[in-house]
Amino acid sequence: MEGFFPQVIFTIFDIPVRDTVISTWIMMAIIVGVAAVVGRRWPAALEMLVDFLIDTISSVMGRPAGPYLPFLGTLAIFVAVANVIGIVPLVVSPTRDVNTPVALALVVFFSVYYFGIRAKGLWGYFKDLASPIFMLPMELISHVSRTLSLGLRLFGNIVSTELIVAVVFALVPLFVPLLLVAFSMLTGVLQAYVFTVLAATYIGAGLESMNNEQKK
Amino acid sequence: MAEMEPGTLITLVTVIVSGVAILLGTLTPAIVEGRAVLKALEGMTRQPEAANDLRTTLIISMALLESTAIYVLLICLILIFANPLLERFF
Repeated sequence: MEGFFPQVIFTIFDIPVRDTVISTWIMMAIIVGVAAVVGRRWPAALEMLVDFLIDTISSVMGRPAGPYLPFLGTLAIFVAVANVIGIVPLVVSPTRDVNTPVALALVVFFSVYYFGIRAKGLWGYFKDLASPIFMLPMELISHVSRTLSLGLRLFGNIVSTELIVAVVFALVPLFVPLLLVAFSMLTGVLQAYVFTVLAATYIGAGLESMNNEQKK
Repeated sequence: MAEMEPGTLITLVTVIVSGVAILLGTLTPAIVEGRAVLKALEGMTRQPEAANDLRTTLIISMALLESTAIYVLLICLILIFANPLLERFF
């Protein structure tokens, strides 16, 4: 099992840099390069991707996807590529390290407050959050726990599929792990979809106003 | 049994408990997910025009259900690879 868990490659100013961070840098270069090449040659492919993201986000949030598309689309593409890139030899999946999914979940956690406060103002947002005042502790606990579960779900799914691939590879080295690698790619794309949809759900729940029905 | 070291006993108990935990922790979400898929399929056959909404809701809810199994898996991984009891006492 040595080499399965993230290794520290080198340190900069006492900050350990793991191999998952290096593969994140490789991944960023791949995404930018593919986006530049595909955008110049076949722009219709990127338009299909953006159309799919707009459809998904607007159907989940129940409102136009315009202001949230840059954030949620970036999240979807990053998580999908990060889950799938583990099949490339010598590149480890960045989401295999627990720090990457939890960092992404923390970004979602703060973006809920950012979008909520931007839409309703500081006072309006916290007034809606504490609309029955005794529910405020429950709301705050649920914000923390759903952030934790969002990060740990992505981490656990990726780690479990790669662990199964590693175990089967130790038993039967030829051809049989290929099926599980294909399954892990499917799981990775599905988990990216789930991550994006859940982030959209959380942001949409933060945008909903309790007083709308009374005003109408 | 009398000459067994304390660390060995903790390791033995940990392995047995991890096996039982992963059994129960994957069995229950699997049954519940099967029930969710069953209900969603019934809804899709009854109302095919609502199939897209049902599929999105099904995928989200299955991810939420599956997270319990993921928690059990994480706890088993912690118990096997980084057992806090072994690190504290030995």
